[in-house]
Order: sequence, then structure tokens, then C-alpha cells
Amino acid sequence: MRLRPQRAGPGRLLQDPRAGWFSLPVGIVVWEIAGRACDFAFLPPFSAAVTAVWHMTGSGELPLNIVASLTALLIGYASAVCVGIPLGILMGRYRRVDVFLDVYVTILLATPKLLFVPVLFSLFGTSRLTQVLFIYLSAVVIIAVNARSGVRGVDAGSVEMARAFGATERQVLTRILLPGALPLIMAGVRMGMGRGVRAMIMGDMLIAVVGMGALLRKYGGRFDAASVFGLLLVIVGVALACTWTIRSMERRMTRWTEET
Amino acid sequence: MITVRDVHKTFPARNGNAATLALQGVNLTIGTDEFVSVVGPSGCGKTTLIRMIAGLVLPDAGAIVIDGLPVSGPGPDRAVVFQQFALLPWATVTENIAFGLELRGMARAERLAIAHDLIYAMGLRGFDRHYPRQLSGGMQQRVGLARALAVNPAILLMDEPFASVDAQTRRTLQEDLLGLAERTRKTIVFVTHDIDEAVRLADRVVLMSPRPGHVVELLPVGLGRPRPDDLDQDPQAIQLKAYLWRQLRGMQQSPPPKSRP
Repeated sequence: MRLRPQRAGPGRLLQDPRAGWFSLPVGIVVWEIAGRACDFAFLPPFSAAVTAVWHMTGSGELPLNIVASLTALLIGYASAVCVGIPLGILMGRYRRVDVFLDVYVTILLATPKLLFVPVLFSLFGTSRLTQVLFIYLSAVVIIAVNARSGVRGVDAGSVEMARAFGATERQVLTRILLPGALPLIMAGVRMGMGRGVRAMIMGDMLIAVVGMGALLRKYGGRFDAASVFGLLLVIVGVALACTWTIRSMERRMTRWTEET
Repeated sequence: MITVRDVHKTFPARNGNAATLALQGVNLTIGTDEFVSVVGPSGCGKTTLIRMIAGLVLPDAGAIVIDGLPVSGPGPDRAVVFQQFALLPWATVTENIAFGLELRGMARAERLAIAHDLIYAMGLRGFDRHYPRQLSGGMQQRVGLARALAVNPAILLMDEPFASVDAQTRRTLQEDLLGLAERTRKTIVFVTHDIDEAVRLADRVVLMSPRPGHVVELLPVGLGRPRPDDLDQDPQAIQLKAYLWRQLRGMQQSPPPKSRP
């Protein structure tokens, strides 16, 4: 789809959605030069950060902690999806469920989830459960809210049609509301992943003794700037990979909404 | 046989709107295999009546009885064709046509075979894997009609089915429906606001009053089937259409005092 004629010249390159592949190397080069030029302990050049990642990988420390973080993410996020979607669908379909739960959803949506860390910490200590619950809480609400909007947005005519053809309430839920709400459900699942990843890192740093965030805390405490920057790169990479995985799933599942 | 016996329906007040008395004492008998058109001024409760026969809405008072059994909900003997098509946007033409059969738990191969036959019969060949949005309005309603026919209902309920398509397509769809009515034995209740369409298609025209709706007059069309080729010149058809038009215009000019809840 083309909205306006393309301009000629360098402006055209920056309009291209793939311009990131051009601007990213520029940023890296600037970083490298700045790091070497100002010889400042807290700004190591890009190459030093990459070397640090290399060393941490070689010692096995990094892979182990990535696995630890991702395990917590997987458990917390998967529970959030499994609870959030049905909950949102029920809230969208049944007024009573919605009236009962809406206040909690509103509170959870408005509150920074970080507030729950001390509560969870006092309940479950530094265990893996604290971190998993924190990830779960961070992701579940946005998933439920989107599923609810999705169900509410389904054409009432489709529901009436299904009923006219003898659909049971269960069939209305599974054959009409679930597929009809799927685009928004998947949007919620994607947003939930973003929040889950953030909670995973925060949880690592504040709670857990293992994981990428814990590693970040360790090297930060030693003033090892190269390792800290290297870890940042790894975390960004992991976060992007998680989001992209969900996004490609989303595209595959909601193909029918695309333009012809 | 469908018997509508002294049916009343009031829709409760909602969002600041006053309660609406939609139907007040509707009496109507529709014979088996009869084709009946229901006409009346807009808002007269035509759609409410057809939704009641479908079992989607229940009367406050009175009853709708089909072959001796009172209607308490939707049933396999009836299928509905909707004005806004109500196709599932995420399902292909084939899946949409087979949807009613799927709800009834028919095996996949079996229902796809039925859908396949209907795709041929309805002139949808080559569109079986298309999604509804890729089809014109007329094509979409062919899918809607095919979906209704797929469950092989004794009664076909059509709620202004051709009102959302252009005039040319409407004419073709009308001819197709006439052919269908001649070939198969089905009771058809057809709600429309188009007098020409009502007379062209039906054995009998039911004229309803403005809200609160009730049946004002039952008019036999008497044009025979198959319909004569020169239907537009047929004096009997012209006379009937002129009569219906005078009646409807009279209703719109002198609306009755609005009922207060």
C-alpha cells in the first residue's frame, strides 16, 4: 500500500521501514569512537562490551543465567496467557463477571507492578516463585483487558447468527467469540510479552540471585563497565527475540484480517 | 404450518430510551410450503416477528406454534438469512456455508461435501477459498443463503435479505430465489420493505401496521408459478402493488399517537 509518492534523495532512505538496519550500525560506530576517544571508565567502547560478552559466554556464566531468566519468564508468562485469555473472554461476555472483577483490573492496570515486589518478597523470599509471580502479575492484566475488548468488539450479528443456527453457549464462546476476538487477544499477548520481559529483568535485579539481572547487579557492583554494557546488549537481544517470536505467531494466526 | 397467535412484545427501556411496544396482537397463519412476504412501514416490528419465529426472541404474551409445537428457541427445522449477511470474516466461503452443519456436529468430510454442492448450485464456483471481504455484497448473500440451505430446513426465514445489495444484483437474487421456491418445497417467510419484491416473490403478502405492529391485511398474490415472463406488465401485479403502496403511504401520513410506557 502506497500512501504518497516517494521523494527522491537521502530523505527516501529514512522513510524506509528497514532504515533501522542502516541507523543501527551508525550508532555502533559512534559508540565505538566515543568510547575510544574519551577514555572514560564508565563508557567502554562497543568492542570491549562484545569481548566481555564473549568471556562470560566462554565461562558458561552467561548461558546459565539466560536459561535461568528465561525459565522464570516462560513459567510466569505462560500462566499469564493461560489465565488472562479465558478471564478476559468471560469478562467480555458476562456482565456479572465484569462488574465483579473490573475494579481489580483497573487497580492493577494503574499501579506500577514494582509495588508488588516488596509484598511478594516478604511472602515468598528470594525464591523463584517470587520472580515468576511478579512476571505473571505484570503480564496478566494487559492480556485480560485486550481479550475483553476483543470479545466486546465481535459483531453482535455473528453471535445472533450462531444462535439462530442452534449454537450452544459453549459453541458461541469457542466458534464465534474466540476467533472474532483473536486479533486483539494476540495484541494483548504481544504486549504481555513486553511487560513480562521487563518484569523478568527487574525481578532478576531486585529479587533473584540468578538470572541476567542478577549478573548485571554483580558486575555493576564491581564497576566492570564493559561487562555491564555487554549484558545490556544481551538483554536487549533477548527482549527483541521474545517479542519477535510472539509477533510472527500473531501474524500467522490473524492472517484473515490482512488487506487483499 | 406456522401459527402466530396473539403475540405481544415490548422491549424494555434502555439507555434512557423509553420502552417500546413492538408488537401488539399479531395473528398469522402460514401454510406448509407457502411463500409469504411481510411488508409494513419501517419500525413496524417485521424483523421482531421473524426473529420470534426463529426463536431468537420470545413473545411476552401469545405463542408461536410450528406444526403443533410452541417455539421456545432456535431449532433445526428453521434457518435464517440475515440482512447484513452475518458471515464469519475469519472463515472461507466453504467454512461459512458449512458452519450450521459444524454446529450440529456433522463430520468434516460430510459437511464439506454438502458445502461443495451448494457452491456449485449458488454460482459461487471458484470462490470456495475466498474470505467474505473478498466478495461483493451479492456474492456474500449467496453464501448466506447457501449456509441456510445447507442445514436443509423446512422453514426459511429471510430478513430483508436483498436490502443491502444493488438493484441489479437484487433482481438476480430474486430470480434465483424464485427458482429455488419452485424446485424445492420449503416454507419461506420473507420480510421486505420493497413492495415490488414482495409481490414478485410471494404467494401471499402480509401487510403490517406501524408500531405497535399487528397484521392489517393478508393479500393473496395469485400470479402462479413459474411466474409469467412479463410480470412487470401483468395487470394483476400492477394493481396489487398500487394497492399496497396506497395503504403504506396512508400509514406513513397518519401515524397513530405514540404509545407511552
